[in-house]
Amino acid sequence: MRELAEKLAGRYGAREWRDQRRDLSSVTVDAQRMRDVLTWLRDEEGYVHLAFATAVDEIERKAFRLTYAVHNHGTGHGLLVHCEIDRERPVMESIHRLWGQAWTYQREMKEWYGIDFPGSPRVDEEFVLEGWEGPPMMRRDFDSLAYSDATYAERPGRETRDPAAYMKEKLYPEADA
Amino acid sequence: MDIKDIVAPFAVWKRAFEKPFTVRKPIDERPGAPRYRGFHINDADTCVGCGTCESICMNKAIDLVPVEGREPSAGDSGLRPRVDYGRCCWCALCVDVCPSGSLGMSNEYLWIDSDPDVFRYVPGVDAKPWDGAELGYRRAEGYRLLDMERVPMPETGHAEGVKSFLELVKGYSRDQAEREADRCVACGVCVASCPAHMDIPGYIKAVRDGDLETGLRLLYETNPFPEACGRICTRACESACAIGSGGDPVAIRWLKRYIADQVELADYGKSLPRAEPATGRKVAVVGAGPGGLAAAYYLALLGHKVTVFEKDEAAGGMLRYGIPEYRLPYPALDKDVDYIRSLGVEIRYGAAVGKDPALAKLRKDFDAVYLSTGLPAAYRLDVPGDDHPRVLDGVAILAAATRGEELGLGRRVAVVGGGNVAMDAARTALRHGCEVDIVYRRREVDMPADPEEIREAKAEGARLIERAIPVRVEDSGDGGARFVWNEAEMVQKEPGKRPVPEPIPGAVVTERYDSVIAAIGQGPDLAYLTEADGVEVRRMKPVTDRAGRTSVPTVFAGGDLVNEKKDAISAIADGHRAARAIDRLLGGKGD
Repeated sequence: MRELAEKLAGRYGAREWRDQRRDLSSVTVDAQRMRDVLTWLRDEEGYVHLAFATAVDEIERKAFRLTYAVHNHGTGHGLLVHCEIDRERPVMESIHRLWGQAWTYQREMKEWYGIDFPGSPRVDEEFVLEGWEGPPMMRRDFDSLAYSDATYAERPGRETRDPAAYMKEKLYPEADA
Repeated sequence: MDIKDIVAPFAVWKRAFEKPFTVRKPIDERPGAPRYRGFHINDADTCVGCGTCESICMNKAIDLVPVEGREPSAGDSGLRPRVDYGRCCWCALCVDVCPSGSLGMSNEYLWIDSDPDVFRYVPGVDAKPWDGAELGYRRAEGYRLLDMERVPMPETGHAEGVKSFLELVKGYSRDQAEREADRCVACGVCVASCPAHMDIPGYIKAVRDGDLETGLRLLYETNPFPEACGRICTRACESACAIGSGGDPVAIRWLKRYIADQVELADYGKSLPRAEPATGRKVAVVGAGPGGLAAAYYLALLGHKVTVFEKDEAAGGMLRYGIPEYRLPYPALDKDVDYIRSLGVEIRYGAAVGKDPALAKLRKDFDAVYLSTGLPAAYRLDVPGDDHPRVLDGVAILAAATRGEELGLGRRVAVVGGGNVAMDAARTALRHGCEVDIVYRRREVDMPADPEEIREAKAEGARLIERAIPVRVEDSGDGGARFVWNEAEMVQKEPGKRPVPEPIPGAVVTERYDSVIAAIGQGPDLAYLTEADGVEVRRMKPVTDRAGRTSVPTVFAGGDLVNEKKDAISAIADGHRAARAIDRLLGGKGD
């Protein structure tokens, strides 16, 4: 694995190689080199399988962290390739020509995080959230409570009690008398 | 038409007897993953109803509701969380934050009903098929969103501490106090357990915010002895603390002390309320202990002229004469007392009511009288020889230590009793260089003293002799006393009651001591109450209602003299209640 790490570092400036498990490693590259890295891994290093692609909202760093999981069936080794993109301008190069199924993950990331993949088939169509009109809901600044309050009617029968006030009412109501 | 088009429909018949790929109805058993976040479960007996789950829920999916057959009690609000699956997003933050660890999730995820209103229930109370599920999401071992460990309090070590009367507990720094305050989840379950119902979440928030003026104001709303209570309070609040249900309770007492310690007495006036305009009414308070002075403080705030009659030469009562200065240094107590005096409360020292002046005179000269005379009379050992000159009274020893008198205890000392007075007497004797045995008739676990005091007395070198029933005291002939006790075993006489010590026949032990200190409890001294005063007394206590009213309309009573708890904070609460009742008697609104 060390050899692959060094090759990736030399060719693509990859960094932060970590062996997560015996059969799983992770590495970070620049976003603009991601497609080249994945192409090379697929064509030259046997990582022919895209297992999944996903994103994490790194709001504190004003970034989205994208992860592409590829797998080498010959060696049984999996590799997580990370990159970060600007959270303010969340656009990433599509890889649907590398792996046909990639457009599904990209459509999911568009709907959940608002990350665009120009050219990716059906990227603007609804994925699982039918009729969703709110902001992308996996963004960490999505206020689910405010959204629910604005979108749904309150069901009758909801009431809550404050522990201290309830205990006072039950245990020492005369305190204010 | 191609021949294939004719044959193809028949070709599929070859699959007719294979297992179908479709899903059978009713649906095949497909259990969720072992740590699947399915429907909530709650151990309703472990849950304390603190509502931290409700506070953390991002979607307001949780309400705290009363449930059938569960009433509030110390440390349990009696409320339980109800989950609304119309809002829950299954994030499990409620499970991760739960202080008691009672909340979890089953791995069950199927629940089908045509009525949308059923998807709202109280886990662990409303019976569900997934109750008691072994699998499902639980907070991972070692993963806590809350900080369950108390910020350690800097203290003098035992070996060093026993050499002097310097205060052992050093107090939190700002950083330590703010970190400790940050552990509080502000549920308020503690408030009911405090006899004075102090606004504990409020003043802890003030510490967290660095707003000590607000903190001090909140303390004084219900307790004018924050320096004293911040050190020696029996802190029922900490036993009730929700964080304590799964870790160390928040150090509420130390945080109270932190606030009072940080604000200079000269600055108290900036945050505390001024007295109302003078009403022209006069109230006499008998006894300048915490209860009497608390009554005096709140009466003075309401504009009444208060005179306190104190038999001793300084104020504070048991806080001064019963608690050694290594637990409550006199300057800290003086700060509390001085602020009360600054409101115009007059304290007459050396004025033993009953001798001079008589209670009848106070009733005549004042509009109301508050009796807060405590329990000054120590119980005797009540065994033959308990009048031996080397049998001493624990309370008197502590008072003599406060006055700086020579105690003359000798080298070997037995302290008889298991309460805080016994522990304080033992630790005082240790500081005078004595070898100390604490002799108690039951077991250590039965001792009424604060466990911390027991632990410290032992750590400082006191030897604990359990299950020892005093038999008699004899003269040793060399200036000391022979103390004789019978070893006992604990016998469960009645089921459900605490076991009682029974003497083991023949197991008699005799030890020679230079002093035997009796600290087995105290009673009231009601000599000042004459029949002509008309105050009804039953079982050595003036009969009062909750507000401290006695059978005489202008006479009120409270504190150790009356209540069962017999601690400073209960006396302070009594004083506050009585002050409000007296104000109403005198034409005020009582608040």
